[in-house]
This record gives sequence, C-alpha cells and structure tokens, in this order.
Amino acid sequence: MELAEKELIIKAQNGDTIAFEQLVYNYDRAVLSIAMRYVRDEDDAKDIYQEVFIRVFRGLKKFEFRSEFSTWLFRITTNVCLTFKSRKKGQIMVSIQEEFDENQEGSETMDLISKQRSPEEETLNNDLGLLIGNAVDSLTTRQRITFVLKHYEGYKIREIAEMLNCKEGTVKKYLFDAVKNLKKKLKPLNALQS
Amino acid sequence: MSHNEFKQMIQLSLYGELSDDKQKLLIAHLESCEECRMELEHQKKIMTLIADHKNLEVNEDLLKEARLQLRGALRQERNNVHSFNSFTNYILQLFSTPPRLAFGAVSVLILGIIIGSIFMGREKLIVNENDPKFTNASIFENDLRISNIQFIDSDPSDGEIDFTFDAVKQVHFKGNVNDPKVQSILTYAMLNDQNPGSRFNSINVMDSYGKVTLDKDIKDALITVTMTDNNQGVRREALKLLGRISFDESVKQTYLFVLLNDSSSALRIEALNALIEAAKSGHSLNQKDLDLVIKQAGQDNNNYIKLKSKTLLQEYN
Repeated sequence: MELAEKELIIKAQNGDTIAFEQLVYNYDRAVLSIAMRYVRDEDDAKDIYQEVFIRVFRGLKKFEFRSEFSTWLFRITTNVCLTFKSRKKGQIMVSIQEEFDENQEGSETMDLISKQRSPEEETLNNDLGLLIGNAVDSLTTRQRITFVLKHYEGYKIREIAEMLNCKEGTVKKYLFDAVKNLKKKLKPLNALQS
Repeated sequence: MSHNEFKQMIQLSLYGELSDDKQKLLIAHLESCEECRMELEHQKKIMTLIADHKNLEVNEDLLKEARLQLRGALRQERNNVHSFNSFTNYILQLFSTPPRLAFGAVSVLILGIIIGSIFMGREKLIVNENDPKFTNASIFENDLRISNIQFIDSDPSDGEIDFTFDAVKQVHFKGNVNDPKVQSILTYAMLNDQNPGSRFNSINVMDSYGKVTLDKDIKDALITVTMTDNNQGVRREALKLLGRISFDESVKQTYLFVLLNDSSSALRIEALNALIEAAKSGHSLNQKDLDLVIKQAGQDNNNYIKLKSKTLLQEYN
C-alpha cells in the first residue's frame, strides 16, 4: 500500500472529511464502472455506488490494513452488487439457475428480445450491444459479477477471488459457466455474424 | 486430459492466465485436435463480440451526480454519528475526573428519571373529543405547534377518525451572534436542519453581522457544509462566510475541493477567485495542488474557469 494512501486512510479514520473524500475519489470511478456494467442502469448504479461508500464510511474505523484497501473496497462493491435489489418495479432481472435445454437456444434468444417493454427499448433491440447486455444479465449473480470483473474491468482471477472471498478455482468455475451460457445465448448471433 | 479440460484451458489462455507448462500442453493438443481448434476460434469470436460492445462507460456527468448524492448521504451519516458521539462523549465526560463523579452520578440519575418517565412512566396520551382533557385550549395553548400528523384510521364513514401528532413547543431565544450558545444553535442548524432555508439563514445571520467571531467548530461546520450540502444556495453561503475566516490549509483544501468537484460553475468560480486572492496575499499552493488545478480546472467545461485557472497559475508562479 502506498504511503500516501495509508496516510489518507488513517486521517479518514480519525474523522478527516477531506481525506475521506480524496480516498473516495481515488476509487469511485472504478466502483461506478463495476456497478454500471453489473446493473446496466444509471440510477441503480448510483444506488450501488452510494451504498458501497456509506458502508466504507461506516466500516473504515475497523479497517486494520490486513489487506489492500482496494481489495477491501472492491469486496464491499461485489457484495453490494450481489445483494442489490433494484428499486424499479417491474424491472426484469433474468437469472438462469439451471442448464439450458440445447433445443431451446433459439427461443432463449427470442425471450431476451421480447423482455423489452417500452417502444424505445423495442427499437434498441436491434442493437447488438443490448442483446449482449441482456445475455450477460441472464447469468446468475455470481457468474455475472465475475464475468463483469474479468471481461469488462480486466481484473486477474486471483484479484477477483480476493474480492469475492473465495478460491481461484471457484472463480474459474463461474467464468467457465458464464462463457458457456453466453455461448449458448449468443450462438444464433454468432452464426449470423459469421 | 478430456476435451472439456482443454476447452477450459483455452478460455484461460485467452485471458492470459494459463501457466507456461499448460500453455505448451494446449498448443501441442491444438495441433492435433480440430475440435479444440474450432473451440478456440469460437471463443475468440465470442470474446471479441463482447469486448466490442463494452457499452455503458461511466461518463463524467454521471460520476459528478453520483458524487453529489454521496455527499448528501455522507452528510446525513456524519450528522447521525456526530449526534450519537456528542451524547455518549458528554456522558463519559461526566465520569472522566473524580471530582465530577458525584455530579455525574446525580446527572445520570436525573437523566434516568427523565428517560424512565418518557418510556415507562408516561403512557401515550390517548384522548377523544368527549374526553374532558380535550379542549382547544389544552391542546393549542402555550405556543404548541402541531406537526407529523399520522392517521391510524382515516376512514370517516363511521363518523370517527384516529390519528397521532407531535405537539412541539417553540422556544424564543434572543442573544448576540457572538454568544457561544447562539452560535452553537446556529451551527447545529446549518448542519442538521432538514429545511435548506433554515440552513441558509443560519449561515446568513453570521455572515450579515460584520464583527462575528468564528471559532474552530464553526469553521469545521462551514467546511462540511461547503463540501457536502446538497443545496447549492447553502453551499454558496457557507463558501462566502468561509472567505471571512483566515486562510489556512483546511480552507485552501476546501476551495480546491469546490473548484475541482462542485457541480455548480458559480461556486467553482467563487472558489477559484478566493484562491487567486489568497495567492495575491502571499499564500502558496504546493506542486501537487497546482498539478490538480492544471489537470482538472484547465479542462473545466466553463470557459471562464479555464481562463481564470491560468491566472491562478500565473499568480502562484
């Protein structure tokens, strides 16, 4: 841990408002980015962001430098993401807990398309990015957070394991399953592209 | 080793997280296995497709908005902690020195009686219109203010409704702005009052009185309000009053914070002007602060700030 950061943490632990704000600003972009890619909604991402830093504020005095501050912070971030419940009523957060039936791949993709509600969203269905985003949304929460941290944020498997407080093997399993599920979801697209 | 294991190794290889030994093993296997070569191509396509659609980047406006909301939430959080700590510290302080022990014991006893009377001894006042206790005079006399009306039964079909309310007594206080008691109440209000108008007025009365003496607690409160209040007018008023306090490191850091983070360009301009004035009076910024100003204020979307930040740099150089 850099000395400057350690000083900031100690100052913040002693109630220094400016030090705490500085600490927040060192990491908040990364936190918001994870939240944004996890929930794919600005308001929900801001809710996660706020919850993360309120928990950091409450827990900072108990932080004893046994791990990197960033590891601790991102562990909080992943926990908040995993337990996050959107305040938006009617929002569809698909979670596929079971294996897909190989014969239903086409209809799974169609399901993702038909889950859009507003006319604007209907128009956006043609957007490949949205379709991919919906496919990512359909992963289980743990598959989704590991996928986001690995593929979008570029963290190492070891780092993700620290954040999720689990073994590297478990993270690999989530990633294998996530990619396997996405491949199934996006297979019709892939065939279309090639 | 099974195909499935090789498929997993392919994924790790694409992440760049496969050990050298396993990488060699995989390369050797790929040379002889068409199924795994196809899997490699398929995984590459999927990953490219996903990487090409890394949408939903964090934009500056969203980040600013999130920061502003966080400030408000933290302000509330600090107030809660502050109120609790003040109370516990006060109680602990009563026991901190032996001569105070007796006084402390008596105070806690009195406090216990009060709390007891509130939570145990006193039942909730339940009255109805026929009750002799209920008269307009008894409820509304002595400047009692009625607030927080909560309906238990708001259906008047049977001719009756049921509700609770708080009867708050207003306290009239008259004193000099420099009186510590007055300042203590105003400081509490600027930090805690839910009404932005009251927070604004609490600062404004101190600002309007030219000869006001501000102690460290008020300064700290003003810094907190300047940095965290979610109302722009309140932040501006606090920033203005802060300008009357002698310039030091904490004031400088507050100006820098506002200049670099506040969503209001008017406040950023005021902070920048205050820093320029301080520079003219001989106060210095360290290189790290100057670098921050160069990097962020120089990119501000407000042209005046961009130009003025150059003036600030000239003054400090």
